[in-house]
Amino acid sequence: MGKIKMKISVIALVAVLLTVMSQATLAYYQTVGKATNVVTSGNIQFMIHEKTDQGTEFPKEGVYIVPGDIVSKQVSIENDCAHPFYLRVKIVYGVNSQELSAEDCFKLNINEEHWELHDGWYYYKGIVSPGETTPNVFSHVEMVGSKIDNSYIGKTLTLTVNAQAVQSENNPISNGNTYTASGWPAE
Amino acid sequence: MKKLLTMLGALALAVSLAVPVFGAEGKVTYDGKAQQFIFEPGSTHSPTDLFPNFKGVMPGDVLTQKITVKNNRANDVKVKIYLRALGAHEDSVDFLSKLGLMVKKSADNKMEYMFLAAANETAQLTDWVCLGTLYSGGEVNLDVMLAVPAELGNEFQNSIGYLDWEFMIEEFPVEDTDPKPPQTGDNSNPGLWIALFVASASMIVILLIWKKRDKEEEETPLN
Repeated sequence: MGKIKMKISVIALVAVLLTVMSQATLAYYQTVGKATNVVTSGNIQFMIHEKTDQGTEFPKEGVYIVPGDIVSKQVSIENDCAHPFYLRVKIVYGVNSQELSAEDCFKLNINEEHWELHDGWYYYKGIVSPGETTPNVFSHVEMVGSKIDNSYIGKTLTLTVNAQAVQSENNPISNGNTYTASGWPAE
Repeated sequence: MKKLLTMLGALALAVSLAVPVFGAEGKVTYDGKAQQFIFEPGSTHSPTDLFPNFKGVMPGDVLTQKITVKNNRANDVKVKIYLRALGAHEDSVDFLSKLGLMVKKSADNKMEYMFLAAANETAQLTDWVCLGTLYSGGEVNLDVMLAVPAELGNEFQNSIGYLDWEFMIEEFPVEDTDPKPPQTGDNSNPGLWIALFVASASMIVILLIWKKRDKEEEETPLN
């Protein structure tokens, strides 16, 4: 009986030692993981608003005018992105006749307090922050009676507002003149 | 190429002079129990995105991103952690090749940059680079800087660039010569304790059986 006890004791001891040794040599494991990192670029976006002095949208189909009329048309621009920007607008006149010119038919009351003319563009004298709407570029359009004669009867005169913006972040200007900013698109 | 090199030079200079301002942090955690990596915070573009600060970048931006790499393995194991770059996804190369990227260990860890190249490249991280040996709870911090050239054109508005990084862990047993790891409260070795419990229980059972047999032998009358 004593020999059997001895055998069992030895087997149990060896089992315990093997268990402990297997714990001690557990090692050298390797794990790999992949991270997909993402860089995204921002953008510049704005909306041009055209309203009347009644607060309503300026009719897209236009209005009928006679020489000497003063039409209420309030033009402003809203920053519709997450980045501030510099802004400029150009006003282009047109008429649906090759024989006629529209250049002197309109007289605008440009808001020179906030907009500065330089090389045919009106530059906003500041930075338009995200969500901000600029003061009006102009608010009334006078149809110059002395220029619009009978040859314009039945014709369509157009006034188009083109706007461009460049980021103001990382884009210094000289002497507060926004037209000196970098990145204005070439014409 | 010349412009990019100039930009990278400016980036290196900016890094040496500037005090970085970090926003959200990227985190890489080695979960020892699951034996896998956890990448945070992720984004709508990728669940393993480590670059929360590099979103909506604009021309002329120089941005920073801190990434913490942490070992959450138990005390009995130390790990060597490695990093390598796999480069940009194919449809991201055009955009990312315009950007400069720099990676270095934080100043606390006193190591020079380990990557300085266009963001689409693998450059100095083509092969595995060892970030260090970490004991339980140990971490290493990476500073990542991104430079966007002021000349970046309108065609790159709303662009998305994907670039892959790979992390690798090698586990080693802590040896007597290693510095004593910090006590994290998770220094138990469940396998060892279970083995001892089973062995002890077995011995108790064996002893009880012996005792019972001895008693029976004593009570059995001799023939």
